[in-house]
Amino acid sequence: MSISPAKSRSSTAARFGVSLALGFALSGCQSANDRLLAVTDPDIIPPGDVKTAEAAVALANGALNTFRNITGGAESTWLFGGLLADEWSTSSTFIENDETDQRRVREFNGSVTTMIRNLYRVRTRANGAMTALNAYSPTSKALIAEMYLARGFAEVQMASDFCNGIPIGITNTLPPDNGVPLTTAQVFALSAASLDTAIATAVGTDAQSVLVNRAARVARARVALALSDFASAATFVAGIPTTFAYQHTFSLTTGTNTIWGQGLSSRRYSVGDSVEGNARNIRVLNAIPFASSRDPRLPTVIPTTGSANGQDGQTYARTTTVYGQLTTLDVANGIDARLIEAEVALKAGNTALWLSTLNALRAAPPKLGDVQAAVLTALADPGSADARLSLQFREKAFWTFSRGQRLGDLRRLLRQYGRTEQNTFPQGVHYKGGNYGTDVNLPVVTDERNNPNFKGCVDRNP
Amino acid sequence: MLYSVQRRVAALLALLLMGITPLRAQQPGGGTVVVRVTNAVDQRPVESARVFVVNTNYAGATSAEGRVTFRGVAAGTIAVRVLRVGFVEQVKRVNVTAGSTTTVEVAMATAAVSLAAVVTTATGEQRRTELGNATSNIDVGALTPVAPVGSLNDLLNSRSPGVTVTSGTQTGTGARIRIRGSNSVSLSNEPIWIIDGIRMTSTSASFATATGNGAGLNTGGNNPSRIGDLNPDEIESIEIVKGPSAATLYGTDAANGVILVTTKKGKAGAPKWSLYSEGGGVVDRNTYPTAYSLWGKRPGETVSSRAFCNLQRVGTGECVADSTSALNIFNEKDLTPLATGNRWQTGVQVSGGSETVRYFVSAEDENEVGVLSLPTFERQRFDSAGIPLRSWVNRPNQMNRRSLRANLNATISPTLELAFSSNFVNVAQRYSLESNSTAGLGSQVFGGPGTRANGTVGTLGTPLNGYRAWTPGYSWQEESAQSVNRFIWSTQANWRPFSWWTNRATVGNDYSSISDDNLLYRGEGPPLTATTRLGSRGINRTGTNNLTVDIGSSLQYKLFGLGLKTTAGAQYIGFRAALASTGSTQLAPASQNVSSGTSPVVAEATTITKTFGVFVEQAVAIHDRLFLTAALRSDQNSAFGTNFQSIVYPKFSASYILSEEPWFKSPAWLNSLRLRYAYGQSGVQPGPNDAQLYFGAGTTNIQTADQPTIIQQALGNPNLKPERSAENETGFEAQMFNSRLSLDATYYNKITKDALIAAVLPPSYGLVTTQLRNLGAVRNSGWELGVTAQLVNRSYFGWDMNVSASGNANVVESLGDTPPQIGTTNRTVAGYPIAGYWAAPITGYQDKNGDGLLTYFADSARNEVFVADSVVFRGYATPRYNTTVTNGFEFLNRKLRFTTLWDIRKGNLWYNNTDRIRCTRPNCSGRNNLLAAFVDQATNIAASEAPQRTLDGFLQDGGFVRLREVSLAYTFNPKLAARLLKARSLTLVVSGRNLKLWTKYRGADPESAFNTTSGTDAPSEFQTIAPASYFIFRFNLGY
Repeated sequence: MSISPAKSRSSTAARFGVSLALGFALSGCQSANDRLLAVTDPDIIPPGDVKTAEAAVALANGALNTFRNITGGAESTWLFGGLLADEWSTSSTFIENDETDQRRVREFNGSVTTMIRNLYRVRTRANGAMTALNAYSPTSKALIAEMYLARGFAEVQMASDFCNGIPIGITNTLPPDNGVPLTTAQVFALSAASLDTAIATAVGTDAQSVLVNRAARVARARVALALSDFASAATFVAGIPTTFAYQHTFSLTTGTNTIWGQGLSSRRYSVGDSVEGNARNIRVLNAIPFASSRDPRLPTVIPTTGSANGQDGQTYARTTTVYGQLTTLDVANGIDARLIEAEVALKAGNTALWLSTLNALRAAPPKLGDVQAAVLTALADPGSADARLSLQFREKAFWTFSRGQRLGDLRRLLRQYGRTEQNTFPQGVHYKGGNYGTDVNLPVVTDERNNPNFKGCVDRNP
Repeated sequence: MLYSVQRRVAALLALLLMGITPLRAQQPGGGTVVVRVTNAVDQRPVESARVFVVNTNYAGATSAEGRVTFRGVAAGTIAVRVLRVGFVEQVKRVNVTAGSTTTVEVAMATAAVSLAAVVTTATGEQRRTELGNATSNIDVGALTPVAPVGSLNDLLNSRSPGVTVTSGTQTGTGARIRIRGSNSVSLSNEPIWIIDGIRMTSTSASFATATGNGAGLNTGGNNPSRIGDLNPDEIESIEIVKGPSAATLYGTDAANGVILVTTKKGKAGAPKWSLYSEGGGVVDRNTYPTAYSLWGKRPGETVSSRAFCNLQRVGTGECVADSTSALNIFNEKDLTPLATGNRWQTGVQVSGGSETVRYFVSAEDENEVGVLSLPTFERQRFDSAGIPLRSWVNRPNQMNRRSLRANLNATISPTLELAFSSNFVNVAQRYSLESNSTAGLGSQVFGGPGTRANGTVGTLGTPLNGYRAWTPGYSWQEESAQSVNRFIWSTQANWRPFSWWTNRATVGNDYSSISDDNLLYRGEGPPLTATTRLGSRGINRTGTNNLTVDIGSSLQYKLFGLGLKTTAGAQYIGFRAALASTGSTQLAPASQNVSSGTSPVVAEATTITKTFGVFVEQAVAIHDRLFLTAALRSDQNSAFGTNFQSIVYPKFSASYILSEEPWFKSPAWLNSLRLRYAYGQSGVQPGPNDAQLYFGAGTTNIQTADQPTIIQQALGNPNLKPERSAENETGFEAQMFNSRLSLDATYYNKITKDALIAAVLPPSYGLVTTQLRNLGAVRNSGWELGVTAQLVNRSYFGWDMNVSASGNANVVESLGDTPPQIGTTNRTVAGYPIAGYWAAPITGYQDKNGDGLLTYFADSARNEVFVADSVVFRGYATPRYNTTVTNGFEFLNRKLRFTTLWDIRKGNLWYNNTDRIRCTRPNCSGRNNLLAAFVDQATNIAASEAPQRTLDGFLQDGGFVRLREVSLAYTFNPKLAARLLKARSLTLVVSGRNLKLWTKYRGADPESAFNTTSGTDAPSEFQTIAPASYFIFRFNLGY
């Protein structure tokens, strides 16, 4: 190598020393490298640390927390299904709420996206917890059964509220498999399998096993109804006391009742009615007058001034005190069991049993949320099959208000009883502009298109 | 892999060191060189000139006496190069004799056009002409005394081609900064900041509390920024490294550009004091939309109301219109929530020292009160009801900043220099809940009807007076405040054992202690929910630590007659943010203590990232006119996936001063011509935990008992690596007409590969929403043009002009195997820009029946508003073309300088989300005003009545021309200043900012956005109070 003609003032030894020092410095950096870049983040728990019995129970608790989020722990289809049906009206500023109430739900509706994600998460987290419980706490049978209940209930809710073409992954692996779209009937069938396992697992005589067993049977009966297996439905709920309730509970530190939070507290939802508009002069066809019927099961304040405007600042929001900040929510209860029995009786043409079952509830009204209704006047037979059907579903609507059943029931009216969308779902001018659309279910959302098997809802049929 | 790269780097360095003889070695008995620099015109000393001994590592800045001394310079002939902005570069050759002192007198001729002569690079200071990439330098020291600059964002805004700044609207809020477009679909597109050699924390979205009623527990609008903590008056210069071609050696995270901040340093000489003070008004001069209510009757009704009617229903006959009422709260003296704010700041600085030790000390107190002010009718309510008028209710938006800086530079020996910079900042600021917050001002002031008679605040009895659901006094009872104590320090050592070998080490830390506070007393605040008025208290305490260790070594030598410089270095950046959060709601009466709440909230969060990088750079100077540079940098980061260890970024650049070639026959008007080319790569790292699969802990309630939970929170990605951006940049610089006109043109083409896409996971996975994957590719290409001209240069009058323009094309070339990201108005689709606006276009409208109204009918024969069926790309979300024109006129023997800065931005849409939500309230003109323009009617009809429900009409031309700055500065004759105030210098300045706007945008301002600090690539207006105007008076006194 040629060097500069300029005179060197440094010795070769000096140059070598410099090179060596720099090389050593860099080598030192190398050896310290791993230690330099090591990071311990106290916010996260590595997978290797979730391999104990206690961790398995905590995972199950996580699944149950997500289960709570699809009922009253977060804004769920218990609210949005009611918005699409007639339980609730929108008094919110959110497009997502308005378009759902207007029955024109777009596929990329952000709220629906969150709701369906939570439904799927219940499945995945329950599956993960089951695996962990079986591995590290196999004697926790009631808890394992509850995981099946959670999974099955999420599947019931999905099939009740969403369109045909619901992708369901079967394996419990990472990365997950891309689910194949199923019809709602197929999802109900999946749910039946989950709930059957729950029933078969929760066979103990301890209180928890009994509770889970009964809840799974009620849910399983709803599946049977949805699949038109009326006889089995009655069998599943036979013997379940009317006082039974499997509940989701709340606390100030872990989350409060969202039906209260979105309804009475924030006034984003207004109790549904057959007349809308602040002047109460816009008729909503087919809608049950939940508010103006003054039914004692659903005490509702109907403001006539702007003193209780909705979150949108313009709608006189109708509020109910059924649910308070910490009111427990019945996920499945004895009322459901009786109403299923009543419908089965009606379907079988046993009018007397049907009416007596309904009137038994009215004679000794169970407490709904925070409301203990006084004895209700007994119902009379309206005389025609069509009227009896309407009465059954109206009665059920009040007993199960905002508990995630109304939309599924309206769909069953179309699917199983020959009713039409035009004579069942809300119709006419919408008070926020335009007319009601034609949706009878919620769409599986745009995000699911990241699953190559999913190309959108197969159809939007009931 | 990192090890192997490092070994290669070390081996290369060792080879170079061992095989090459340095040109000139320092010897203890060398000579001393004193360089004295004067202005050739008046022979006065030139301060802060950069002086280099060519082909050595000797460099320094002249003192106030224009003097700099180099000791131990090897005997022989040396060349001394002197550079100073505003002067023509000078080179002088002298002989140095061992043991004696050689004095070099350099007289600097003033340059007609001022360009930065020396720039800071990752390997040290360098002549600008030796760089292959475009540079952008803001002479902050010269700017702040005369320009209406209140923050660093103001300094950056509209001063450099290719740099787009969109500032927040409330006082103290941060800004969105993009340099040469957006590179990343899912990661931050903000540049990184380096101050005095160390990484500076520059997060924008940094306000949240444990409680609070803003969206996401923040204000619902723009957040304060850590960039805003700095005091512009303490800054000497800002250099903007625009892209990977120049930012390679700054490593992973630098792909979005690097902003280098150099603070003021002491100059040898007697103490020089600078006092300054400014004060002025902050005025909202925007035009806000008027609220309309349409009164009418449905068929059969006898009483007119505003409940049902709108123009559509009038058009269809569902309603008979009676009248339209209108109210613009902003125009009503007793109702408006806006008043003139104020701003003042006072500072003192002193600089001086000896050639051995120099110091710079600065202290400043600054206060700004924004335009939000409790309306008169509310003030009267508070007075009459005896409600305590708390300071934050009275003026909810205010910022107070105190800054203390001490910088020391010491020449310990001829071979060792030390520098120490320290800055303590205390900031106290508060904000109104605003735009995207139901509880805040925006939804109330923009959402009410076209009448004052709209009832009361819930059951509380307060007349709404046209506000939507509650009045400002209720919103503003909730305090949202942030206080910051920040200490930034850095120490730099330069050790030059030989003239050919320099070593530098920088260690520094940027520490912030941030407290976000929220307080709402029980019984106060809006009736937002059933519990809001039960009180809330939230505290977030965050400590951030940003540690930098940076070492480097440079050797200069000659080989084959070539001037060579080899530099190697290593850098460690460690960032840690730790948050402890507590809050509670439902407080005890009169309590402001978190422990009195019945509903407690606690949280903790920690963010840690660490980066280690090494680099080597080889520079070659050929005949001092062709400069070639090649470099490699290798990084490893704690956020990389376990299957990905390190990344290597290369760079190459060439600078060719063509006009200095002997064979180049330059036309008479061309003084110099330089060609540039640069290629380089850089990256942006993923988030600290993005690569990991992990679980998180929480709590739930099961059968009335609180229980701990574990939930999988991330899917992770073991293959995760940083995005890699590669940029080609070429351009030229020319000086013409006796160097009175300078032209700088650049073309760049930048592609980001392995772009990190937050791939949306199918909900059916039942997992998290997204997983970061290296899937995409994003291309930014564009041009930049800078023209600086001294149009008139007389002793009594001068006129200089600067035009900078840029254009950018942003295209997502690939999203990998993920489908387009679809939002309500924005989509990221391959073949189109990031977050472009998409909508079904309104193709036309026609009042077919001549009733003066546009009506949607399903019957196409009657329909009057036409909307296409398909959603298509409608335009960029941010300006593609930016032009800034600065004119400076100097009168009265050039003692009075008048400067205007015009800002022109084009090529984008701006989402008028304010009008969108107003049409749903409903109070917009297009829905309720019988005299509404057809374009507004069509906008509303298309959004609310047509089946497509398109928001196309709200995507409006965002182009504008703005008179952004005007200043008038008078510099007193030194004798007069001395006579009047015994001062060395005196300047009086009157200036204004954001003074006039021309635009087709139909909202308040096409720069008004509620989400500039959110990281969005589609900032938009949403119930937002638009930017205010500033009118400032300032004096600068020198002693």
